[in-house]
Amino acid sequence: MSRSLKKGPYVSERILKRIERMEGGKKEPVKTWDRGCTITPEFVGHTFNVHNGNKFLKVFVTEDMVGHKLGEFSPTRTFRGHTLRKETTEGE
Amino acid sequence: MPRIVGVDIPSNKPTWISLTYLYGIGRHQSKRILEACGIDGLKRAQDLSEEEVARIASEIEKNHVIEGQLKRQVQANVQRLKDIACYRGIRHRRGLPCRGQRTRTNARTRKGPRKTVAGKRSVKEMR
Repeated sequence: MSRSLKKGPYVSERILKRIERMEGGKKEPVKTWDRGCTITPEFVGHTFNVHNGNKFLKVFVTEDMVGHKLGEFSPTRTFRGHTLRKETTEGE
Repeated sequence: MPRIVGVDIPSNKPTWISLTYLYGIGRHQSKRILEACGIDGLKRAQDLSEEEVARIASEIEKNHVIEGQLKRQVQANVQRLKDIACYRGIRHRRGLPCRGQRTRTNARTRKGPRKTVAGKRSVKEMR
């Protein structure tokens, strides 16, 4: 079920404050566990270190990412394909 | 057979149905278009007058995205997801379902024909 429109998008207060503070100054990565936080236009151009349950993955926010959640860019699973058998396996 | 918006030539079915042969028009949109044009949808497509065909065509061109243009739009949306490397984009790249469906079994629409792997236990055995 989607979030109630009445509440508006979920944006972490802490992250917003951090970004506000960095205004004009130099941008440094924001470390966060808050994967559910929606990316707002203010985030563009900042780098986040988003926790994936194990490590913090660097996410550089571009304009296209607005409206998505931070967690969408920090995969939590590692599966990257099966080991390829000889010619017995067909396809792929 | 009337010709509507380029190459598409719907048949001798009721107009309402034959419009759905256009990519991007389903039954619902079809009804709405005909309502906007004030044409009886149950009338056969072949019985439409030139003027009625033109009216339908202009209505579609004005208010609907259709055929190649719609396909391009969908493709662009997918490409955007791929470019920003979000979860859904990655699923698209890998040809897997991106709305959280199970992939242990099924998901054949996205994954294509089964690729049998020697020595892999069947689903029945796994239970």
